[in-house]
Amino acid sequence: MRAKGWLAIALTVAVVVGLSVGVADAKHAIKIGGQCDRTGATKLIGVEICPGVTDYIKLVNKKGGVLGHTLEYTEVEHEYRVDRGVEAYERLKRDGVVATLDYGTPIVYALTPRHMEDRIPAITPGFGRADSLDGEVWPYIFPMAASYWSQVGGAMQYIKDKGAKKGAKIAYLYFDNPAGREGIPIIERIAKKEGYLLRHFAVPSPGLEMGPQVIDITRRLKADWVVAHLFGRSPSVSIKEFQKAGFPLDHVISLVWGAGEADAEAAGWDQSQGYLGLQFAAVGRDLPVIKEIIQMSKDEGKEAPKYVGGVYYNRGVLIGAILVEGVRQGLQFGEPLTGEKVKKGYESIKNFTLGGFLPPMTVTPQDHEGGGWVRLYQVKGKEWVPVTDWIRGYRDEVIKLVNEANKVAKVVKPLQ
Amino acid sequence: MINRECGVYQTTYQGDMALYPLPLAKISYALLLLVLLALPLAADSHTMAIMNLIGLAAIGAIGLNILTGYTGQVSLGHGAFMMVGSYTAAILSSRYGMPFWVGLPAGGAVAAAVGAFFGIPSLRIKGLYLAISTLAAQFIIEWCINHIPWIGGGAQSSIYVPTPTLFGWPFNTEYRRYFMVLPVLILAYVGAQNLVRSRVGRAFIAIRDRDVAAEIIGVDIFKYKLLAFAVSSFYAGVAGALWTYYLKIANYEHFILSTSISYLAMIIIGGLGSVLGSVFGAVFITLLPIVLVYVVEGIARLFGFTYASIADFLANLRLIIYGGLIILFLAIEPEGLYRMWGNIKRYFRFWPFSY
Amino acid sequence: MFFMDPFFWDLFVNGLLIGCMYALVAVGFVLIYKATSVINFAQGDLVMFGGYIAAAGLSLYHLPLWTAAPIMLALMVALGFAVERGILRPLIGQPVVSVVMVTIGLALVFQGLAAMIWGAATINMPLPIPLKPLIIWEIFISPINLVAAGLCVAFLVVFAYFFRRSRMGIAMRAVADDQQSAMSVGINVRVVFAISWAIAGLASGIGGLVWGNMLGVDTHLALVGLKVFPAVILGGLDSVPGAVLGGLIVGAVESVAAGYVDPYVGGGTKDFAPFIIMILALMIRPYGFFGREIIERV
Repeated sequence: MRAKGWLAIALTVAVVVGLSVGVADAKHAIKIGGQCDRTGATKLIGVEICPGVTDYIKLVNKKGGVLGHTLEYTEVEHEYRVDRGVEAYERLKRDGVVATLDYGTPIVYALTPRHMEDRIPAITPGFGRADSLDGEVWPYIFPMAASYWSQVGGAMQYIKDKGAKKGAKIAYLYFDNPAGREGIPIIERIAKKEGYLLRHFAVPSPGLEMGPQVIDITRRLKADWVVAHLFGRSPSVSIKEFQKAGFPLDHVISLVWGAGEADAEAAGWDQSQGYLGLQFAAVGRDLPVIKEIIQMSKDEGKEAPKYVGGVYYNRGVLIGAILVEGVRQGLQFGEPLTGEKVKKGYESIKNFTLGGFLPPMTVTPQDHEGGGWVRLYQVKGKEWVPVTDWIRGYRDEVIKLVNEANKVAKVVKPLQ
Repeated sequence: MINRECGVYQTTYQGDMALYPLPLAKISYALLLLVLLALPLAADSHTMAIMNLIGLAAIGAIGLNILTGYTGQVSLGHGAFMMVGSYTAAILSSRYGMPFWVGLPAGGAVAAAVGAFFGIPSLRIKGLYLAISTLAAQFIIEWCINHIPWIGGGAQSSIYVPTPTLFGWPFNTEYRRYFMVLPVLILAYVGAQNLVRSRVGRAFIAIRDRDVAAEIIGVDIFKYKLLAFAVSSFYAGVAGALWTYYLKIANYEHFILSTSISYLAMIIIGGLGSVLGSVFGAVFITLLPIVLVYVVEGIARLFGFTYASIADFLANLRLIIYGGLIILFLAIEPEGLYRMWGNIKRYFRFWPFSY
Repeated sequence: MFFMDPFFWDLFVNGLLIGCMYALVAVGFVLIYKATSVINFAQGDLVMFGGYIAAAGLSLYHLPLWTAAPIMLALMVALGFAVERGILRPLIGQPVVSVVMVTIGLALVFQGLAAMIWGAATINMPLPIPLKPLIIWEIFISPINLVAAGLCVAFLVVFAYFFRRSRMGIAMRAVADDQQSAMSVGINVRVVFAISWAIAGLASGIGGLVWGNMLGVDTHLALVGLKVFPAVILGGLDSVPGAVLGGLIVGAVESVAAGYVDPYVGGGTKDFAPFIIMILALMIRPYGFFGREIIERV
């Protein structure tokens, strides 16, 4: 009885203290927000990408903010789950955010109607729904830089450049969720066009075991190329499985979310030599923005963490930069800033490169992707090195597919 | 002093059999109802969202408590039955244009059928073996919905549902959705309270307590076990369908194994074998992550940390505290919040005497 | 006819090898159930913790394998003792669902703790075993799977000897059979409980080593614990040889089913097939191959 009493008192005190301090917070700043996965299936990515976003915003605020306004970025943990992602969005909405990052393709799908209704734009760089390229059908969703369809196009372009002919056997190994399945329509289309033999191999969440699939790819199908759309835990497992089965890693191309240092490290750098991956943002510390961030850490007396300059961290910085750019462009439409103004701001982004992060990105009200450029990197030594320049593969196929996909959406839309 | 039974007498059978015969109970429930109805006037959108989440969770928790708390059949597949209801409602509404007041009971009915089917093993096995078979149900149903395109809506396994409307009045704000969730919750709650007082409810409790003895006195345990599964899955299906209409999307990730475990945690912390306990548990588990983030952030802010530096720590702390609270509750108060509530009521009832 | 297909044998042999790894985890589970009647939902998390400790030793502190492994095993044994003493002991006598929930709560705590201590990134577990596959009679065998299976089999053989011949082993079997009678002949039941958890911890440690190497170490490693259920149901919840058989069957079935059925249903059979088998087993022969029938007493 005593224990229970003290426990109750302690809990009540903690809750009261926390709530009273936590609630007191009212600054006149521009609020933006996003979810983050630090404990769920993609936490390998989340723990590097989210600091990238917050560090960049911190840098911008240090340099005086956006046209004098400080930016306040709120990150809400959602464990890569749709229900928690939706709850996070509602919380951000109540806080008054004008722009969000929706982390995770399933979450993007779930939140799309809400973004349309609430008129708050969401960016989904390098993931999300590829059909939202068409800004007229999906005004508030921005699959910036390179959607999954553009990535698959790039991978297939590389395969063709490396000499794949009609009858070549391609295996599409994917994470069995909306994000993974996003790549299916485009890869089927391209394979049909080129006369490749294509087979799909699904890896169920969270992608821990794929032995039979890899055995099938290596021994039964005897595939020439593998396009892998895995993320989180699964890329490292796939690397090990391919090695165990004896499949050459330099014929495995991973889409952007399986191409990070963390993945190669988890599989072991020695085991991952030759593994190919797509990037949509530059890698490394040799970029002006990254150097500034490292300097900022030094000014605070801290060493920049190991992952600064890495694949996922840099993407986080890019995300932060796109958010900031949207806010900056949106402010020219007047204050106070609203979601609609940020949307128009995004659509005014022209020739955006963030000092060498990506080829110039131009977003228009019709084209919400702004480019679709990817670059192939390969694991050599203990890092990822580029093997091609920025390419854009099968662009016309991608656009055609977007139009076809949206024909259905245009009919369904009135119901929303 | 006010909470007493003497001096209260009934003159009709109906009065005697009423759900809340004491005047104090009647008044307090009426007041509660009034507060709940008036809440939208005073609260902001986020609070309404939280109330909605609690309401949705409570419906599911009540269902699970009927199966696990009253009938003693541990079920780890509750999330899967919610999934069934959710997708049924989504298919009916998106493909066949049914309104939500058809989708809800339909979702419940289909889930009840599926639940009864997965309850069939209960004829031969009991206890933990049954729990493990419900675990299998969880995975099998998840797999079916994911891999049968007709159910799962094709390659993307999410189905959009148009905004639910009632006579042309759309439920498109948190305030309006509150009035979609609240009536269902009230119906569910009153229905469950009456169910457990009825003959069927007594059969459930008999099965939980000593099923062989129950069979001897003439309770058909197979029929009642299946009924328990069916009723519990009906609640789950309605809850799942309501989730679909609330989120306007049906997605299997809402209802994975950790969801089933959350519901189990809700009823255990709330109190096995009590409907009110399920609601307490739902409130507790739904609020836990939200409160936790505020509290830890607040305390950290006192010491000068920003969110970014403790984000990792916070995310994992939530898991630890969640698990730790479950263990703590089971060690200190195994009968849950409902028992604590009962203790409080009893204290005031006997005040100023201590026993 | 399909027995002539090398693909089948590829799947079958590798599946069987992985099945040995499942068997190891299943034995730990069954041991706890037999001795203490606790269904341990945290078995996978024990494996995960063992994997984390080993991986931390090998990758983060760069200890040689012969140092890291014994340290990890010792720590896992200690963890087994600690869990039994601290968490399960106070809960003796509580209804079944409570104990189940406690192990579930424990599982969550382990996951959060591991991520807090070692971070969220997946840690590699380097073992000095070549990756290139061996090809025997046209069937390819991965050396890592072979070594892992070998480790598991070695443990099981040692354990079987211990269980059957040593005094403590016989004492454990006695307690599993009938606690009251065991107490009446002077066996200290509490010590037996503690030892069974400790051995389960040991088994989980070895499991963590091999599974961590195969999958990479992070909190998702705990999901291995879910596959344990089909294995133990098939074999019988209270039978150690049954657990081994169940593990082997699960490993082989999931591999072969996934290889052959996946193309027709779009994937996911690997996780699904063992549970179908389990449901069938529950309907036809609920107590598994070697389990004991539970006799009802009013």
